[in-house]
Amino acid sequence: MPFIKEILNYDSLSIVGLEKNVGKTECLNYILCRLPLQEKRVAVTSIGIDGENKDQVTSTKKPEIFLREGMYFSTAESHYKERRLVSELVEITNERSSLGRIVTAKVSVGGKALISGPSSGVSLRRWVAGMEKFGIDLTIIDGAISRLSSASPAISKAMILSTGAAFSSNIQTLVQKTKFVVEMIGLPKLEDVTRDALCDIESGVWGVDNDDNIIDFGLTSALAISSLKVDITKGMRIIYTVGALTDKLLKLVSDSKNIRNVTLVVKDFTKIFVSETAYRVFCSRGGKIMVLQKSKLIAVCVNPTAPNGYVLDSDILCGKLEEALKLPVYDIVKNKYDI
Amino acid sequence: MTFKSALEIDCGLRYMYETLEVISPCGRKMLLGSEMMTGKREIDYYYSKLNEIYYRDCTRIANKLMCLKDIQNTLSRLAGGAVLDDIELFEVKYLAIVSSEVLLLLEELRIKSVRLPVLEEVVKILDPDGLNIPSFYVYDTYHPELKEIRRQMRLLQGAGEELPKEKREELAVLLQRNADIELEVRCGLSQTLRKFAADLTLSLRNLSFLDILIAKAEQMKRLGLCFPAVTEDGETFYNGMFNPAVKEIVVKQGREYMPVDISFEREPVTIIGANMGGKSVALKCLALNQLLVQFGFGVAAHDCCVNLVEEVALCIGDEQSIVKGVSSFAGEMLAVDAVIRKIREGKAILALIDEPARTTNPVEGTALVEGLLEVIGKVRGGFVLTTHYNIGNESVKRYRVKGLRDGVMDYTLEVTQCGDVPHEAIAIAESLGIDPKWIECTKRNLNN
Repeated sequence: MPFIKEILNYDSLSIVGLEKNVGKTECLNYILCRLPLQEKRVAVTSIGIDGENKDQVTSTKKPEIFLREGMYFSTAESHYKERRLVSELVEITNERSSLGRIVTAKVSVGGKALISGPSSGVSLRRWVAGMEKFGIDLTIIDGAISRLSSASPAISKAMILSTGAAFSSNIQTLVQKTKFVVEMIGLPKLEDVTRDALCDIESGVWGVDNDDNIIDFGLTSALAISSLKVDITKGMRIIYTVGALTDKLLKLVSDSKNIRNVTLVVKDFTKIFVSETAYRVFCSRGGKIMVLQKSKLIAVCVNPTAPNGYVLDSDILCGKLEEALKLPVYDIVKNKYDI
Repeated sequence: MTFKSALEIDCGLRYMYETLEVISPCGRKMLLGSEMMTGKREIDYYYSKLNEIYYRDCTRIANKLMCLKDIQNTLSRLAGGAVLDDIELFEVKYLAIVSSEVLLLLEELRIKSVRLPVLEEVVKILDPDGLNIPSFYVYDTYHPELKEIRRQMRLLQGAGEELPKEKREELAVLLQRNADIELEVRCGLSQTLRKFAADLTLSLRNLSFLDILIAKAEQMKRLGLCFPAVTEDGETFYNGMFNPAVKEIVVKQGREYMPVDISFEREPVTIIGANMGGKSVALKCLALNQLLVQFGFGVAAHDCCVNLVEEVALCIGDEQSIVKGVSSFAGEMLAVDAVIRKIREGKAILALIDEPARTTNPVEGTALVEGLLEVIGKVRGGFVLTTHYNIGNESVKRYRVKGLRDGVMDYTLEVTQCGDVPHEAIAIAESLGIDPKWIECTKRNLNN
């Protein structure tokens, strides 16, 4: 049973997919069916709708979420009423989604259910914190498509990435695109005297000069970078953007003479919205990006089948990905690992 | 007037609302929808309740009330004979548990002003196994078949592996049977609980009320508010009156806030004094405190006696409206006119008017204010205006802001007989650091 043991070392896990239909739900079910519940008390929720019979966008068949006896789950009240399991309602939370209030229940007889939990980063964080009162050892968040935010280390400490033919049906492109995301997840953590001070900053773009002074560039976000009249990298050893890191800011640092002496810092990898090309140019000129908080990527799961019927060779795909990522890669559906 | 509509009056009531720590959403809803009290008996009774809470340590009750949810819709559905779903039954059970726990605390603290119905029976119905935990589902004990059906479901489900077709079908039948029985049980529970709907509604209302009282008592201690004496058709007086919102700003700036004393009966009151002397703040304080009293809050004064009114009218700002096509002068005249009409109708109204006719020439302005005071005469509620004009009327009570003393503003009010307004505008402008040439020219012109 690959990577289940490793999950047990963490108290929060998120599962994110790089595209719809990359087997994220399969992956979640794989984990949920194998977690040793006698050792760990587990709570599950999802960002957005999950566990539906059919994909809401592509109308393809989707596996449902199977919840085992003893597990806790949080979902919108309208979905709670449609559950196909027996569960004990333990809380009506103060969180709301478009489908109503979010309720939490404990499963008494296992079965399938629709899970649609809190949808914002802040409410997810509150959800994770709120699970403490039920003595939860492990919280699992099922992320939505292209919503890497649930994998932010501010919310969950470990993550599992799903990728597959739906993301790209060309093995080479798929490997390359996935590798870029994994590279971002693996960016080194900043170890610096100013780290704690930077963590406390809530918005804007900031710099740290050679004397460790923290300087506010007076920008509300990296998006306002074009209004700058001066070279912000001058005399700086760190440029920190609290919000999104965009191509514009990356290019600004790329084009600066000071690129080799300055480190670009972001809160975590979910704040990086740069294209691979811009990143490669930046790196080739000697630039480096670091993060304040880092997630642990436990494994990568693949689904070689795309919703349009295109099927990649599972073994070749896994092999190529493993080689490129230097990480274990699993095709859970094909290999049907034992429970 | 409801509390929600009173919040529109720009006198600092919103600050009081925002700093009032009502925990539960239903408490807030109740407060916003509450009507202004106008009778002495009603208000005295209200304050006797607040007084009881004020002298008790209600922290533990407040902690319990944190979990209170607004389930009025569920209770209405229950009373109307609807079949409640799992979530609604959970809500009912939760309310019954919170209510029972608070009831015990009320008894322990000997609080008598808020009464809660006994809901033990409701808890018992929704907790058939006596587990005493705030959670709910259709327990096995509710129906003889449930336990066995669920046992079979468990056996079939296993750990979630893919099932063969015949087992899936078998499971579907069990799931359906389970759902049918659950519905049957919920029908029965809803019917049994229906007779408690009134008690549950009463409990929700009184818990919300308790939440409001605890928040008001806590606010009184935090902001240094007092219990008022109230009168119908008597004198209003405030000793050490202040405006909490303004006080907070002043204290934050490291300055001292000066409370004021004021009293009036049926005679109109005028307040004269220097610019920036706190005349408008005094008017706002009067409006705020009148509303605080009549909505049962602690009052922002050292001590006070307040004459009850049916309405508070505060005409403070620029009433001009581009949308309505009304200039500032016209807007003000219309607003004051509305007040006069209400007074004429015999309504007990506290009218507070800041510098009426200030936007027109001083000759006519003075005449307009004098005319206003004359036409108003004696009023049932109270009539206070501030002005910079020399008003000659006789039957008014005059206050004056003490004003600049050695360059420092003394905001306190003193009763004065003469209507001459102080001439401190230039000195104040100077203290603001206004262009010296302008000041110099002004002084020269004045001397000529």
